[in-house]
Parts: sequence; C-alpha cells; structure tokens
Amino acid sequence: MIVLNILGCLVTLTLFNSGRASTFGVDTTALEPEVSGDGALFLVNNALHSLEVSDYCRELLHIFAERYISYVSCLVTSVRPVKICQNCYIHFSILKEMYNNISSDQVGPDNVSCHDSLLRSDRLMLVFQLYQDQQQIWTTSNCASCLSEDSLSNVTLYYMTVLNQSLTCFEKNQEQGNHSILCKECKTSYRGLNELYGRMEKNHSLCLDIEYSMSITRGLWSKTFNCSFPRAETVPVIAVSSFMLFLPIIFYLSSFLHSEQKKRKLIHPKRAILHSNLMNIQDRSS
Amino acid sequence: MANITKKVSWSSRGDDPAQGEGTPLLNGATEAARCTTRQFSGGNIFRIGRMSTVDLEEETNTEEDSVLSRPKEIPHNEKLLSLKYESLDYDNSENQLFLEEERRMSYMGFRCLEISRWVVCGLIGFLTGLIACFIDIVVENLAGVKYQVVKQNIEKFTEVGGLSISLILWAVLNSVFVMMGSVMVAFFEPIAAGSGIPQIKCYLNGVKIPRVVRLKTLVVKVFGVICSVAGGLAVGKEGPMIHSGAVVAAGVSQGRSTSLKKDFKIFEYFRRDTEKRDFVSAGAAAGVSAAFGAPVGGVLFSLEEGASFWNQMLTWRIFFASMMSTFTLNFFLSIYHGKTGDLSNPGLINFGRFESDSVEYNLYEIPIFIVMGALGGVLGALFNVLNYWLTIFRIRYVHRPCLQVMEAMLVAAVTATVSFAMIYFSNDCQPLGEDQAEEYPLQLFCADGEYNSMASAFFNTPERSVRSLFHNPPGSYNPLTLGVFTLSYFFLACWTYGLTVSAGVFIPSMLIGAAWGRLFGILLSTISSSTATWPDPGKYALIGAAAQLGGIVRMTLSLTVIMVEATGNVTYGLPIMLVLMTAKIVGDYFIEGLYDVHIKLQSVPFLHWEAPATSHSLTAREVMSSPVTSFNRIEKVGTIVDILSNTTTNHNGFPVVNELIDHNELGKICGLILRSQLIVLLKHKVFVERARSRLNQRKLQLKDFRDAYPRFPPIQSIHVSQDERECMMDLTEFMNPTPYTVPQETSLPRVFKLFRALGLRHLVVVDNENRVVGLVTRKDLARYHLGKHGLEEMQLAQT
Repeated sequence: MIVLNILGCLVTLTLFNSGRASTFGVDTTALEPEVSGDGALFLVNNALHSLEVSDYCRELLHIFAERYISYVSCLVTSVRPVKICQNCYIHFSILKEMYNNISSDQVGPDNVSCHDSLLRSDRLMLVFQLYQDQQQIWTTSNCASCLSEDSLSNVTLYYMTVLNQSLTCFEKNQEQGNHSILCKECKTSYRGLNELYGRMEKNHSLCLDIEYSMSITRGLWSKTFNCSFPRAETVPVIAVSSFMLFLPIIFYLSSFLHSEQKKRKLIHPKRAILHSNLMNIQDRSS
Repeated sequence: MANITKKVSWSSRGDDPAQGEGTPLLNGATEAARCTTRQFSGGNIFRIGRMSTVDLEEETNTEEDSVLSRPKEIPHNEKLLSLKYESLDYDNSENQLFLEEERRMSYMGFRCLEISRWVVCGLIGFLTGLIACFIDIVVENLAGVKYQVVKQNIEKFTEVGGLSISLILWAVLNSVFVMMGSVMVAFFEPIAAGSGIPQIKCYLNGVKIPRVVRLKTLVVKVFGVICSVAGGLAVGKEGPMIHSGAVVAAGVSQGRSTSLKKDFKIFEYFRRDTEKRDFVSAGAAAGVSAAFGAPVGGVLFSLEEGASFWNQMLTWRIFFASMMSTFTLNFFLSIYHGKTGDLSNPGLINFGRFESDSVEYNLYEIPIFIVMGALGGVLGALFNVLNYWLTIFRIRYVHRPCLQVMEAMLVAAVTATVSFAMIYFSNDCQPLGEDQAEEYPLQLFCADGEYNSMASAFFNTPERSVRSLFHNPPGSYNPLTLGVFTLSYFFLACWTYGLTVSAGVFIPSMLIGAAWGRLFGILLSTISSSTATWPDPGKYALIGAAAQLGGIVRMTLSLTVIMVEATGNVTYGLPIMLVLMTAKIVGDYFIEGLYDVHIKLQSVPFLHWEAPATSHSLTAREVMSSPVTSFNRIEKVGTIVDILSNTTTNHNGFPVVNELIDHNELGKICGLILRSQLIVLLKHKVFVERARSRLNQRKLQLKDFRDAYPRFPPIQSIHVSQDERECMMDLTEFMNPTPYTVPQETSLPRVFKLFRALGLRHLVVVDNENRVVGLVTRKDLARYHLGKHGLEEMQLAQT
C-alpha cells in the first residue's frame, strides 16, 4: 500500500513540477559560496589568475557551477520515485545552454574565448568531464523522448493522466480483502494503460520515469493484487501433448513391424585365390 | 521391389574367376587379353599377420562355395563398403593429347589460367556470400512471421482459455514448413539431406558422391534448410551453407551447368577432377566463412578436411575466396540492416561480441575449463552413440520417401509440443529489460512486464537462443530451466539429425552446450561463496558450447578458430583450444565423431590419414584385386564394348598391355586407360579403319574429353553396329603411358601413402618383369580398419 501512496503522490507532483524547479534554484544559490570558496581556487590568485582566465570566463564558470549544482541536487531528490525527466528537464536545459556558451568559440567582451581556458587548459578537463557525466545520465535515462520543445510532450502528459486513472481505481477498490473485485473493476483502465504503454514502446517515446512507473503499476497488478491469468487448462494441454508424443512411438513401431528391412547384397571381389581364406576368417571373427 | 529385379542379374554374375574365364565374351573376341586368371601357387607366402588368430583350415571350402553360389544378404551395418561410390581422378593423364595441348599453349595462356583461377575464387566467394545472405534473411523473416502468429495466438488464448489450440497451431505450422522441405529432399534430391559436411568431406577425400555438387542439389538444399529452420526443428543452417559453397564452387569453376544445359564456354581448362577439387575446397571454405563469419576458420576447415593436396598458392586463393564471401555477406547484411557500408558492424558477428569485462579469465579457471571439455566429450559421445543407433534403424526401416517425410513432420510436431509444454509448465519469469534482445517475449502466466524465461530458449530460432545464452546478463535463467532445457534439447537434436531434411548439427550442439555451460557457471557461482570471482555465466556458456560441439563433431584446429572468430574474441583462444582437445580425447575413447559415423554408415570408401596401424604385414599382393581386366594397345571394338557393358564388373580403369601371344600369360604394362576415355573414343568412333578411310577426319582433342566431363554417357547409350564391332581401336595415343605401379611386395601402408598423397584412383601392381598382376583401387584399401580384434576387413555391398 505504501508504494501506492507514493505513486499517487508522484502523479500529483508532476503537475507542479515547474514550480518545484524554481524552488530548487533558490536552494542551490545558497550553497554556492561554499564551493567557489574552495582552497585550490583561492591559491591561484593575482597575476597568474588574471593572466589565465578573464573575468568574463570566471563569470561563466560561476553560473555553470550554480546550475550544475541545482541540476545534480534535483536529480538526487527525484531518484525515488523516479521523476528525473519530469523534474529536472529545465535544470538540464539551462545547464546545457551554459555549457554551450562556454564551449562555443564565440568571443566575449574582453575579446577572449573561454573555450580553451576553461575546458582544455589542464589535464583533467574537469568542466568537460562533469558535463559529460551528466549528459551520459541524461541519455541513459532516455529523457529526451519524453520531451518536446523543452517541455513534457503531450503523450507523456496523457500517459500520466491514464496512469492516474488506474491508480485511483486501485486505491478505490483495494479496501476489500479479496482482490478479485479490483481485478474486474480496474481491468479496463489498466488495460488501456498497458496498451498505451505498448504503443509508446513501439514509438520509442519512453523515458525512465514512464518505464519505472509502469513497472511499479504492473507489479501492483500482477503481484500485489494477483490479477494475472491463472494456469487453468493443464489437463487439455497435457492431453494434446501426450497424444503428440504418442504418435512417433506408433510410427516407429509400425515401420519396424511393417516395413521390409533393407538388406544389403554382399559382393565378393576378385582376389588372388588365397585371399578368400582371409575373408572367411574375417567373417567369422567379426 | 527394385531389389528383386536386380537379384536376377546378380545370381548369374561371373565373379568366380574360373567361371569368368569360361564365359565366352560376345562376338568371340578371344584373342584379346582380358580376365586373365592367375592363381598364385604357394599359399604359404601370404602372411596374414595379426589377423591370423583363427585357424585357417576348417570348412573354408564349403563356406566359400555357399557364399559364391548366391548373393548373401545382410542387414545394413557400418562395416560395409558400397559399390555406388567411385573415386575421383586426381591423377593427371599425361597422354599424347595432353602433351600436344601443353605444347600449343603459350606463356600467356598459362598466365591467363592463373588469373582466371583468381577470378573463379572471387566469384565463388561472392556467390556463396549471396546465398548465405539470402538464407539468413529468408529464415529470419519466415521464422519472424511464424513466431508472431503463434505469439498472438498464445496471447489471445491465455486470456480466454484454450491454449491447447495454440499448441496445435504451433505444431501444425512447424509440420507444414518441415513437410515442404522434407518433400523436396526426399523426392527430388535425397543427397541434399543432412548437413552436407560428411559429403563434402568425402568429396575432398577423393570419393565421388553421386550428384553431390549439382545445381539441383543446391536449390533443394537452400530451400530445404530454410524450411527446416523456419519449421522450428532443432537444426542450424551452417552445415548446408558449407555444402552450398561447395556446389557453387563446382558449378562456377566449370563455366557451365549441365542441369540447365547452358555452357558459357569459359574456364574449360578447369573441367577435370583435380582442378574442380581445388575449387570445391575453396567453396567449402567460403561456405564456412559465410556461415560463421570466420574466414580463417574456413580456410582451416578445408585444410583439416582435405589436406592431402595442399600448397601455398592454393591456400592463398582459398583465403581470398573466404574473405570475399564474408565481405559479400557483411555488405549485403549491412544494406539489409539499413547501415549500408558499415562492414564492421558488431551486429554482423554471428554469436555476438563479448564485452571486454566479461571475457576475463584466470589461471585457476583453466582446470574448470578442462573438466567442462571432458564433460562435453562424454555428452558428445552419448549423442553420437544414440544417433548411430537411430541412423541404423532409419536406414533399415525408414527408407521409403513418404515414410521419411512423415517422420520429419512428426519430429517437427513433437518439437513444438515439447517446447510448448516446457514453456507452459515453466515458472521461471524474468523482467523484460533493455539489455536482453528477446525478439518474441512470451508472457503467458508471468506477471506483466515479465517474460517466460523458458520461452526465450525455446520460442526462438536456435541461433538466437545461442546468442541469448551467451549474452544475457547473469540471472536471466533459472538453473532448473537450463537443466530441463538441456535435457530435452539434447534428445530433440539427437533425434533430428539424420532426418530427411537438409539441416546442420553445429547450432543445436552449441545450444545444448551453451545451456549446460551456463548452468555450470551458475552452479559454480553458487558453490563458491566469494562473490566477484566468478563473473559472467555467459563465458561458461561459450566454453560449454565449444565443449559440446567438439564432443560431437571432433574437429580441432578449424573449430577453435571458427569459435574465436564467430565470437569476435581472440582472448578465448587458449581455453577453447584446451576444451576442444579434451573433448576430442575423451570422446574418441568411446566413439568417432558424428560426421565419421555417418560416413561409415553410408558405406563410403573413405581413406583416413594413415593406414591402420598393424597393417605392415599386408602386401600389395593380398590387397589388390587380382585377375585384371586389361586391353591390348590395339583392341577390337567389340571386346571393349562387351567389357564396358558388363554390369557385374563395372570397372573404371583398364591397364593397357602389350600384345599377348599366349592368353594365359600376363601382359607387360604399357599404360592405363579409363572408362570415361573409352566411352568418348567410342562415341567419336575413333577406329583404326575409319582413320584410314577418311584421312581428313578431325583429330580428337583433349577438349572432346572435357566436354563430356563430368557426366560421361553410360555405355548403353552408345550404339555400335555389328560392322563396327569388328573394327580396331588404337589406344596408344589416349592412354596414360606412365601410370603409377608398385611391386607385389609393397606393404599396405606404403601403397596407402601413395594413394592418399597423390589422390590416385588406380594403382597397378606388377611383378618383377613389369607384368600386370593386379590392380589396387580405393575400395581395396578402405576396407581395412582397426577393430577390437585387430585388423578387420569390411565387405563390399550393393546399396
């Protein structure tokens, strides 16, 4: 039942996801000074500092750091139940925008490009690496297929509503001890959900969020409520199988009894005369 | 019924030497030397060596008489040699025509020949690759349609009840597919049955298997294998691909098709057994390389199976053909998969590429691998023994084509039934995931979002099942599922091999092995408490597959390379080699490899690498066929026709001797002439009298002999009038003037070595005055084999 509650909560949250994103933004700005006040960054100061990195680039890096933090913290908080794509797509898109800014060759106000100084001037290439990792996560969770034009796609929203219907139905009927009523009542809505999911699977418009919610729902349906099909027709299957297995026995028996055995005619080759003795020896010994 | 009609002619055959001499040849051609009987005096010079454990005296005469008076009939067994099979002529006949042609040919001519050899090899590779590609795609689609239909049906009936109907549907679909393939094979071209590897092995060994490299065989084979794989039998398409490659090679290299009666007038020089054999070995290699994506393995396969005629240039050409075939296959498959030109696409690797972290193995795993190899040897031997008995039963009782078709259909239906029952009663449900590539996941009674794990093994083409056993992540299969699957599939595969459908045994063996190998891996990881040391069970599936395959077919070098190439993984070279070695050693202790068993059961006179070990005491005199039918240099046409049309002897090579004055005397050898040459001579009526009367008659050339190759007309189709029978024929120009000869005292292993290394068909045995005393042929040598009681001799039989 706990899972069900979580799911219900999850669906309601989806509708407010844009609002949540902004609150997270606030949270991360509060965290920001700690990171930028890091010892290593402090050491590299004065002359070296201004030589290496322009103020403009430092600014960019700063914003990148903020956005990065907000994005990661969004990811971590949306891990269970999985709502990565729904909650964090805005964070990701602004992070991406920032990274594109940094990595583009376009020249800033000081006539410098931050591409080389921020991304490639050291062995570790931390900014690049960090962004790569996040992008990896984003592609693995396949979030792009749930989005269209920087917002959740219509299919995804429709799926959410259908899912919601099923879950409400589950909730309504689960009070009775016997789940057979639930199985009967919610069959249509659940089947509709299942078919929608199947269609989306075919169109490759599934992302991690949807996959997860669906697998939880299916688990509820099949395992918790036990609504899968029972193994009901063992007898006819056994009967047909044993009939089939019986056929070859008849076949081989009948061909053994009725088919005339194929005989081979032996031929005696021409040999030097004593050789036939040898043949006979072999006949007897073998 | 055919047996009875033949019996008449057999009862009156003159194979008693005395009788043979007494029978006057038609037309009273008595002055010619033929059927000269020599009885060797002094029987004590015949040493019987280690065979003489039984006393010689008792009852030999009576037994001999009874044997000779009527043909003895025995049930078919493995210790027979069939008369049906003849030898190929690998020895070049250096007669005058040949010398003339060689003189006429310019330096450029030889260069062109060399180039055209390369062209032919390229074509062989290309066409073989195309055929393999065709088989791949058609099988995939047909099986796809079938599984889709059955899957939908099962899904429907899972809900409303009546799953036994799905079972029947599946069984019927399987049977229909298999029936089509089996009817083609049984009624149109029985030689296309089975994997074709034994037949190709025999061909490369120098045995002419009738109709084995014809276009019709190819068509039937390709169609048959598509039907049997799509029909869900426990078979693979690899063996037939190898056979197809060989047929393509034999066809392309001749530049014509006798079946289609189309002659392109190219590559005429290659119309000889020697050249054809070289190309056939290239074709077999191309077939292997197309079947497994293993070009090097293909070359080594040809090397392993036909190594008596190997040289560097040929190896290089064969490798070229192999590579061409892999390239063609990959290219067309890349088009089919929508990635045109991406030749290194990992999806093209047959059994899937192993990820780099799952391929690691450690020193302590080597003993485990060896144990698995031994297990594979034992299981393989069991497979072969069961299949041996089954095949004997089939040859003896299930020999009528309609019975064979029925049997194949029954096997197909039972395969479907067993698979269905297994799936139905399996409780092993696994979550559907991204990483498993299940084509047709069946849910049945599993929870939503899960699939039946038994179905991923049974409800699939065998090749895909192998792939999922190799690559599915740990935990995709229950040990129980794997155990039950191994057991049932073992018997199904064993039952299936030898049916009258064209289908190979490679993939089913690998599937059995992969299943128990995976089981082995899972058990290992449960036994050992430490967690991370026993990684991927897929690795053990691979080793198990190699072990089982090695235990069944007993190939060594080529199989190692094929496995390494088919999995795209050189790291496993050592374990696979060790496993195959152990499997072969253990398996050979019980029984031979499956292909050798089948070659024996077909009564093929197959020459192994070496003569039997204890045969040095046998001499050519004991081995040879003794009263030799021979011709004079200038021979009467009537005599030749009579001897050629004598069905009881049906000899193919005749020594040519100098003129005899006394008929009881042996003639001195001057040459050897073949039946095929005589037939061409008779057809063109090359008689001495005609040459005199018409001086401007065109001289016979080597080309005339080649045009008739390989299907020389039977003697019955050549009409020789009464007048012509009195004419004379001069054989001097056409015979091979320098045939290989051995003295009478040569030991059997020596004769054997000559025969095997030179690919001879006839070896003349002469006495110290160069007089022909006997003739050794392939059947004379192949009949000796080492049995339980020392050297044993096989009998010749009419099949």
